[in-house]
Amino acid sequence: MSAQVKVYLDNSATTRPQDSVMDAMREAMSERYFNPSALYGPALDAEKLLTGCRRDIMQALRTAAGRVIFTSGGTEADNLAIIGAMKRAQPGRVLYSAGEHPAVAESCKALSTMGHEAVEIPLREDGVLDLSALEALITDNTRLICVMQINNETGAIQPLAEVAALRDRLCPAALFHVDGVQGFLRHACPVSQLGIDSYALSGHKIHGPKGIGALWVSNRVKLQPLAHGGGQEDGLRSGTENTPGIAGLAAAIADYPRQNDMRRMKLMLYERLRESIPDMKVNGPDPASLSAADHILNLSFPPVRAETMLHALEAIGVLVGNGSACSSRKKKLSHVLSAMRLPAADIESAIRFSLNPFLGAEDMDCAADCVIRNYDALKHFTRR
Amino acid sequence: MRELLMVRYGEIYLKGLNRPYFQNLLLARVKSAVKAYSSNVRLHDSRIYIYDMADKTACLEAVQQVFGVHSVCPAVEMEKGDFEKVCEQGLQLMEGLSGSFKVIARRADKLYPLDSPQIGAEMGGYILSRRPDLKVDVRKPDHELNVEIRDLAYLYSRVYPGPGGMPVGSNGKAALLLSGGIDSPVAGYMIAKRGVALVGIHFYSFPYTGERSKEKVVQLGRILAGYCGGLKLYVVPFTDIQMRIHESCPEDHTTLIMRRFMMRIAEKIARKEQAQALITGESIGQVASQTMNALACTDAVAGMPVFRPVIGFDKIEIISCAQKIGTYETSSLPYEDCCTVFTPRHPVTQPKLDKVEKAEMNLANAEALIETAVNDSEIIEI
Repeated sequence: MSAQVKVYLDNSATTRPQDSVMDAMREAMSERYFNPSALYGPALDAEKLLTGCRRDIMQALRTAAGRVIFTSGGTEADNLAIIGAMKRAQPGRVLYSAGEHPAVAESCKALSTMGHEAVEIPLREDGVLDLSALEALITDNTRLICVMQINNETGAIQPLAEVAALRDRLCPAALFHVDGVQGFLRHACPVSQLGIDSYALSGHKIHGPKGIGALWVSNRVKLQPLAHGGGQEDGLRSGTENTPGIAGLAAAIADYPRQNDMRRMKLMLYERLRESIPDMKVNGPDPASLSAADHILNLSFPPVRAETMLHALEAIGVLVGNGSACSSRKKKLSHVLSAMRLPAADIESAIRFSLNPFLGAEDMDCAADCVIRNYDALKHFTRR
Repeated sequence: MRELLMVRYGEIYLKGLNRPYFQNLLLARVKSAVKAYSSNVRLHDSRIYIYDMADKTACLEAVQQVFGVHSVCPAVEMEKGDFEKVCEQGLQLMEGLSGSFKVIARRADKLYPLDSPQIGAEMGGYILSRRPDLKVDVRKPDHELNVEIRDLAYLYSRVYPGPGGMPVGSNGKAALLLSGGIDSPVAGYMIAKRGVALVGIHFYSFPYTGERSKEKVVQLGRILAGYCGGLKLYVVPFTDIQMRIHESCPEDHTTLIMRRFMMRIAEKIARKEQAQALITGESIGQVASQTMNALACTDAVAGMPVFRPVIGFDKIEIISCAQKIGTYETSSLPYEDCCTVFTPRHPVTQPKLDKVEKAEMNLANAEALIETAVNDSEIIEI
């Protein structure tokens, strides 16, 4: 039943690595395969690769302070930032937004075994963090606040500067961790200027390889390692460095088209769907507003269920994501959309379109056509 | 001395003149089950012996899945001439065991100098003298050490149960309606255990269900195939029929009419595959389509016997059986099997056949729809 992939619109799940990324990885494996820790000359080449990539990441985050630690991906970077920073901290309060990815939310909850109290910060109905609620939650003993840069399901851009300002006013000692997996390179995030203490990123969301990520930390974070061993990454993340992955990440950062048309493409898709499907609902901020990310559009087409729409689109080569992983047997609605207090029917029919910079107007037309055609056919076959 | 597995069969013993037929069928099933681990499998003395195993544990587990096997014992085969050596081997088999034991001796070779009670007593004494920590208990021992004196001596201390039943293929073939849920694999297992070969039939409702739900059914088929040595799975495209029913029949009758279409399609496939019956995982009253009246309406379109082996089981009993045969975890994966979109909110629970038949009349070209579904089925050999 699977057709050839014509339009890939699940770029928040993962992206296709650029050709230059694959070339760089191949070269790293065939030519620069030496252990960066070795003493002989060729190993130095491998080490330069790491240094170069660290510099590229810091440049992208517009900072000269702090350091970059390579990890196996976004999840490990979040774990290291949260658990690594809180391991030796005085027991206190840890705040995380209700829209956080499980990599952050579960790490925060895991801190309870170390005596910390993990508390969720509510979202507004448009998926943006509720700042007044945060203000009420920050206590003197708050140790850490975790708010993501861009929500992976709704594309809601979070008010990082405002969070930092509240922190500075109410509990300046608290650390501020940002999961930047969806936002890195797509939207600027000058970490030092914003008062962020740690920032996690992942290679495969920006057309780089899977299995590589990084954590940037400011100088005031006192990290404890989670992986012990040979002492690589200043003892914070032992294990021989993943040089092919790092080479791929460096190439992905270098070649990511910073100037792109994603926002225009997203709005084109949105407008076409809105014209033809008046019952369509937006899950998240108004797509045209400044709170909406360039690349994510979360829409519901009630009464057509997300899974049905997804498979119908799949059959004609259009791949999209479903925000809510649900089934007839085990209803497990999206925690993000639930936190936004959306009606269950909207959550069950929520589809996430996530773009990349390489898509054009013809791709948007094709996707819109397919959604409209399927919606018209499927809307009749629903529970009466 | 060599290690082997000794396989015993149960019900086949009760067979009369056609016993060799069943024995050979079982031998073929055992051979096929263990072919990855051993090619030296023999029928001898009304038992099956497996030698030269590459992986004893895996081989044992494979045999334990073969229908018709009553029990299987990891055993040692050796020369019987030097009785002291036989005793020494018995002692070795008791290694690592504690508590009480009993030696059970069987002397098939009536020329052997010691008779069964003597063998038991001698060997028990030999072991006790070297393992004073053990006790003999002839009534309720913790361990039974078996010694058989045939043309060679065989010793074993552990007996693992087989599934029982009859070798698959000895009782014909039936078509199993496999949904992806918990009940139907159990129903298939129970009938296959009686020696019946299976053909699987799955109704696929793309785009209401996706590749993953199909893959789940293939996985269930693979687990069943482990017991019945292979399975042919028909994946029937069913969406068109469901949509047509939804469009043209009264809502409260849609599920029942859908079940009747499933039966008609299944029967056609069954006949094509020379199968003699249908199997479903239905259980009285579990859902609206499984009340007695509803089952009667479903049966009315079936031209062959419909077996429902879990008909009298509670869900809990079915689940515990699914856990035992290893299908529960896969069945519990969250991918949808039959879309809830097509499930009426208030299905009729006490349908009348004439009303159902009348409701079905609204569907034009039913025969052609069935024909297309059968012909467009995807066949997966597992």
